[in-house]
Amino acid sequence: MKFTVIKNLQKDSAMSLILKGFLLFILLYIFSDIFVMKSNFGISTQTVTTTLLGDEDAYIDPMNEASFLEFWHAQIFFVMMILLTLSSIFIRVAKRSRAILTNILMISAILSLISLPLAFYFSSFFINIYLFGYFAWHLVAIYMIFYSFWKLNARSV
Amino acid sequence: MQEAYKLSILHYLAFSILLIVSAVMLFEHKIGFSPNSVLEYYIGNEEKFIPSQSAGGILKIVLPHIFVFGLLAMVLLHFLVFTKLRYKRSLLLLIYATFGTALLEIFAPLMIIGGFEFFAYIKLFSFFALLVLILFISWLLFRVITQK
Repeated sequence: MKFTVIKNLQKDSAMSLILKGFLLFILLYIFSDIFVMKSNFGISTQTVTTTLLGDEDAYIDPMNEASFLEFWHAQIFFVMMILLTLSSIFIRVAKRSRAILTNILMISAILSLISLPLAFYFSSFFINIYLFGYFAWHLVAIYMIFYSFWKLNARSV
Repeated sequence: MQEAYKLSILHYLAFSILLIVSAVMLFEHKIGFSPNSVLEYYIGNEEKFIPSQSAGGILKIVLPHIFVFGLLAMVLLHFLVFTKLRYKRSLLLLIYATFGTALLEIFAPLMIIGGFEFFAYIKLFSFFALLVLILFISWLLFRVITQK
């Protein structure tokens, strides 16, 4: 987190390059996450419902509770670490709207992670909220990454 | 500390609480909160058809947790270094306690399958102690961040 206290990131070419490399990896993670979720868990209301709650007509069993809890637990950790580091870089390089965007990013991610067990234990209605939160934080994160790239290439940060 | 960073840390604390909730639910579902259920989970029970855990199986679960506990503790504790609490001696105690209980929590299962059954109590104690410490650190950070 040394980059949070460097006065001019653009002049520090090594730190700037490290951050760009890191942003590239976060971008890769976010896109890969969408593809992995699409094939393993689902990214539409129908597919997520089938994965979580099963489908009697198609003879698909619901996800078992232990697997669900392990999946949810791991998701929370990965999302929290990625969003903390991404928001730290974004806050460092952005001047305007950083509080609003950080709020949207974090709240939508928290909303999606809270909706997941609610959908599993209580009602499939929460699957829609989960998907809304999931896509909202992904979109905001992608915007933050590109904005940070752009700012790191700007004259001074 | 800048306001925007404070915001980011507050959200991180919310994630930490969510992580604790999921950990408690997972522990309760897979192992259970009594010393007997901890023993049964690790050394098995023939009457209940519960298979025993192997050292390899335990290491498979332990491995990611070594990294995760270390990282989580480091991130949470290093935020405290940016506050006035940095100059308090009790912070050192808190750091030792957090990493110490995390180590106990991680390695107690290996001791259980090694024949030291009383480590079932240590497993339970260290699990809850770690959660309490994480909550306590989160509360300290929350208090520091929100006070004017």
